[in-house]
Amino acid sequence: MSNNIIVEKLIHKGAEASLYYGSWFGKEAIFKKRIPKGYRIEQIDKLLRYNRTLNEAKALIRVKNYGVLVPPVYEIDVENATIVMKYIKGEKLKEILDSLTTSKKVQFLREIGKSIAYLHKNGHIHGDITTSNMILTPTQDLFIVDFGLHDYSDSIEDKSTDLHLFKRVLLSSHGSDFTICFDAFLEGYSEGYGIEKNSECRDILKNILVIETRGRYVKKEDRL
Amino acid sequence: MNLKNNLTLGIESTAHTWSVGIVEFSGKVLSLVNDMFIPEKGGIHPILVKEQHLSNFMQIINKALDDASISIKEIDLIAFSKSPGLGPILKIGAHVARMLSQLLGIPIVAVNHCIAHIEIGRFLSKIEDPLTLYVSGGNTIVSAYESGRYQIFGETLDIPIGNLIDSFARDVGIPHPGGPKVEALARESDNYLHLPYVVKGMDLSFSGLYSAAKRLIESKDYENKYTLYDVANSLQETAFAMLTEVTERALAHTGKSEILLTGGVAANKRLQEMIKYISREHAVRFEVVPLKYAGDNGAMIAWTGILRYKSIGGNNISETQINPKERMDQITIPWRS
Repeated sequence: MSNNIIVEKLIHKGAEASLYYGSWFGKEAIFKKRIPKGYRIEQIDKLLRYNRTLNEAKALIRVKNYGVLVPPVYEIDVENATIVMKYIKGEKLKEILDSLTTSKKVQFLREIGKSIAYLHKNGHIHGDITTSNMILTPTQDLFIVDFGLHDYSDSIEDKSTDLHLFKRVLLSSHGSDFTICFDAFLEGYSEGYGIEKNSECRDILKNILVIETRGRYVKKEDRL
Repeated sequence: MNLKNNLTLGIESTAHTWSVGIVEFSGKVLSLVNDMFIPEKGGIHPILVKEQHLSNFMQIINKALDDASISIKEIDLIAFSKSPGLGPILKIGAHVARMLSQLLGIPIVAVNHCIAHIEIGRFLSKIEDPLTLYVSGGNTIVSAYESGRYQIFGETLDIPIGNLIDSFARDVGIPHPGGPKVEALARESDNYLHLPYVVKGMDLSFSGLYSAAKRLIESKDYENKYTLYDVANSLQETAFAMLTEVTERALAHTGKSEILLTGGVAANKRLQEMIKYISREHAVRFEVVPLKYAGDNGAMIAWTGILRYKSIGGNNISETQINPKERMDQITIPWRS
């Protein structure tokens, strides 16, 4: 890499990828590099990392057109399975949500609901909606990050599953104000989905309850 | 109930194997006798399997009793596999178990087959709280114990891994069970042909992989540009990399510090090697259930029956209905809570 690209330090190590902080032509940047896995043969390993890098970058580039705040992509280095994107300064929503006032919580959760609806309405499934994957900037903008499990789908089931996962996250990590938060989220979601697709939106929300009644996700006591 | 000898007779009857194990309450296995249906051609036809089990069941029970040098009157508890599996075959196990229980006037326990696979593995490998990868002809499940149940974190969305390998083997003329032979073929090749790799979160899909492998052996390039060895190798490498990826993801998600590999496909050395690799990377313990107890067997049913009996007693006869589709995450585990 040239002098204009500087990788400074590792800031996060996930199961699939590592995140590095650095600079790209003078701009603060994040380098997301998918790491090779030694258990699988090289042909499979290379292809997976190549395809997943490309898919994630494509998703990031596409969804920004729907009014969802995601980190802009600077460069895609498929050879090294690396996406270079803008460094979003701010805090993970997970860390600060519980310390916010109720009205702020409602405001942000509505906003998240809207963004997710914009994704879903346009056939994008995030795949890993959690408060760890949302960054609140000092200017109070909410960015959605990590499209590593992103997929394309128009099915009700896939969209409800996406929402259901977020519901579980809210319950387990932010249980104290769960009802207020989740209601605000759903309100934002319905609003974002829009009047013209209202019935589809209702089907998606109804299907969350159906998913929950499957034994896989709930304790017997909580089951309907 | 006053148990004289602390002896349990376990009946496994979910698919191709009718198996009877006699196990002491301490877990010591006194005998284990298997009768496996081997089709002349094709797969496991439930009606043909049922016929074989119906003709042989008493003979196998008697052999197990003989091997353990006990008489049937000394048995204190009957355990049988009530789920999941092929309906007509589950029924035989249930009927025989109910009959023995009532005839001998002893308690009965209905056992979920998947849970039995985990429990025998935990016991024999002296492993406390593992993440289990259970791979067989009928199941492909990544599971761990959490909030009172064996939760399913990942599973196949279509066909099980063992079914994939067996079906492929059948297509190329290898008789059932095809697993060991496919493994041997794969070892002869380092060539990789691209096959679809489908992982969704922690779930897997093998049906596209099967169709693609089938297309490879039906293609005019077959035995021209590549061989059966290459296809077998590619099939294994793809399927096992998928299994390893979801196991690693589930390991990170659950934070468990042990991995247990069980089911018939656990015998495959290449799969063992891959799972071992991630267990080393994450510094967790890795155990493979001994082959004799990794496949379907009556001893695991007996042992799981003992666990339940010791913690909350036997089942009423009304609770001994079979349930071919029961998921193991629907069942609470009283002996672990």
